[in-house]
Amino acid sequence: MDVKRQVNIIRVNPQDWPKGTPAEKAEDPDLGNALIPAERYYSPDFMELEWQKIWSKVWLLGGRSDDIKEAGDYICTDIGRESVIIVRQADGSVRAFPNVCLHRGNRLRPEGLGTAENFRCMYHHWTYDREGKIAHIPDLGSFPQGAPPEGRLPSLPCAEWGNFVWFSLNPDAGSLEDYLSVIPQHLNPYHFERMAWKRDVTIEWDCNWKTSVDAFHENYHVQGIHPQLQWYLDDVNVQIDCYDKHSRYLVPFATVSPRVTLPSTIPPAIDFMMRHAGMDPAEYEGRVSDIRLDLQRFIRKNAKKQGKDFSELNDDQLTDDYHYSIFPNVSMNIHAEDVMMFRQRPHPTNPDKMFYDLWMFELVPEGAEWPERVRHQHFRHGDKSIGQVLDQDAFNLPTVQKGMRSSAFKGLWLNSQELRIRHFHDVIDGFVYGPEGRKPGDL
Amino acid sequence: MDLGLSGKKAIIIGAARGIGMATAEILAREGCDLAITARSEDGVKEAVANLRKYGTKVFGSAVNVKKEDAYKAWLATAIEQLEGCDILIPITSASGGIGSEKYWHNAFEVDVLGPVRAVEAVLPIMTERKTGSIVLISTTSAGEAMGGPQAYNAMKASLITWGKQLALAHGKDGIRVNVVSPGPIEFEGGNWDMLKGTMEKFYAATLRQQPSGRLGTPEEIARAIAFLASPAASWCNGSHLVVDGGFTNRTHF
Repeated sequence: MDVKRQVNIIRVNPQDWPKGTPAEKAEDPDLGNALIPAERYYSPDFMELEWQKIWSKVWLLGGRSDDIKEAGDYICTDIGRESVIIVRQADGSVRAFPNVCLHRGNRLRPEGLGTAENFRCMYHHWTYDREGKIAHIPDLGSFPQGAPPEGRLPSLPCAEWGNFVWFSLNPDAGSLEDYLSVIPQHLNPYHFERMAWKRDVTIEWDCNWKTSVDAFHENYHVQGIHPQLQWYLDDVNVQIDCYDKHSRYLVPFATVSPRVTLPSTIPPAIDFMMRHAGMDPAEYEGRVSDIRLDLQRFIRKNAKKQGKDFSELNDDQLTDDYHYSIFPNVSMNIHAEDVMMFRQRPHPTNPDKMFYDLWMFELVPEGAEWPERVRHQHFRHGDKSIGQVLDQDAFNLPTVQKGMRSSAFKGLWLNSQELRIRHFHDVIDGFVYGPEGRKPGDL
Repeated sequence: MDLGLSGKKAIIIGAARGIGMATAEILAREGCDLAITARSEDGVKEAVANLRKYGTKVFGSAVNVKKEDAYKAWLATAIEQLEGCDILIPITSASGGIGSEKYWHNAFEVDVLGPVRAVEAVLPIMTERKTGSIVLISTTSAGEAMGGPQAYNAMKASLITWGKQLALAHGKDGIRVNVVSPGPIEFEGGNWDMLKGTMEKFYAATLRQQPSGRLGTPEEIARAIAFLASPAASWCNGSHLVVDGGFTNRTHF
């Protein structure tokens, strides 16, 4: 559906909010108009390049810090062919080591959360302490070569930011702070530590991990697959900002898309948003197009009474979607009271498959009881609904993946609304091919 | 068939969009002078500009029917501008909503008091001239459940009762009062246009209930309203006409 109305979205003046999330529009990078080669979505060679140059080099999201509060609490998470255990130490720090027994290669733990005094392999009971050091080898005397000389599992870089714990498979990864660059400054004002788990789901999706990342890097698809969102957000007046590795777009919520006629009654999703804030839609006398700013004013005035501290957020952040991508695989829909984020992990061997981690968090108002942690669920593409919008997102991905292999399809033909996809692939090129980038003929 | 509308003076409340606008357009085409209003200034301005192309006198300005004084003043001005009133069609509605008592106030003030104040404003001149036709707009949701228990349906239902009372009371003065109950009507920017986008399953279920597999258009309701409003319907008084393409199940014995 094409644009049919001129809509003037009023945004905050960045100068008025010097301390919070920078709202300035970043200058768009000139990344040309070339095709993004389709082959990189299914080629085993490219998958291997990604492993060597990206997955085993960068910082990666491991989980939530508050899932491992006490010494011995651990997160076990897989990434591609590797698996990692992240453990809270007695001194409050976090450590990570590969989830593998040095004896015969067995995984020490299945994926998930737990608490452990030590990590004992379930095969021959080799035992490692919370730091990854070998604590006990049964019948040590029967190994004429002795114990492995390092005496421990390799220590992996591990650090925390934003109530999330991060790790790298690369001993020389540099600091997490350097890697995240602008992200902490931008997102600290949201205080993710005040938000609790709402959903924790992993779905095996039938597509390449980049097919999924691409899907959440543009708003052009709203008119294609999410018709209902046109009565909830403005998918046209979107501010796109590309940074060094990461990027964002700012999508106005509580407003109606320029692609549809402005209704005279309040659309259901906006009605819901107003009620959630404590505003009675029946009392509202303004036009539907005025709701976004009025809702911002209402939230600003009433949030404190409701135990919600939004003092570090600008007015737009009270209604809008600040959508961030942290390279390579984290997409975050961030709102004042909730975060819906995706961690998109490659399959260990198959470029046509991936793991889609859907994580949702919700602000717990001051004084309210911290909810019990939701249980992790795991299923396969299409087995269960994950909600209307995400079902719509997921629906096309397997056929996009199949289409990538068509001889008639050479690559992605992107528009300016899809600049973040182009930027994402430019960053991939930087890692895979070095500073010179991708040359003609490269995947 | 000549409807006999040429030269009649009609007031339409809520004429900037949908059924109201379609009704205004038919009446203008048939040669009626018009006074129209709606809440949106831009909407009224656009509607007036559009209606003037038929060459009759068209007066229009925005008013919020919930603002009693402003609304009554508007009604007086409308009668003055038209130099009388032969036809009154108050169609404005606060629409539905569940979960707040305020919806009852809104529906009462807009859906009920909107027509009540308009009828009271035109009755003296209609009585004096011994001619007049009033068409009230209810809904099929008054007679059959739709959208959950809410003020909109109940308040709209009251117009059917009140319409009959008016017809009986003022028939002796040459004033006819009839009620039209439209079924679901779809137009760009209307509620069903939005529901098609936002509540696809509900919309599809509603479509399935329509024997013809589609929703109605504003023009299809407007033609029925125009007929009842016109002298051609001289023997229709106190009637309630359901115009819904066969949407409702009820049999009228």
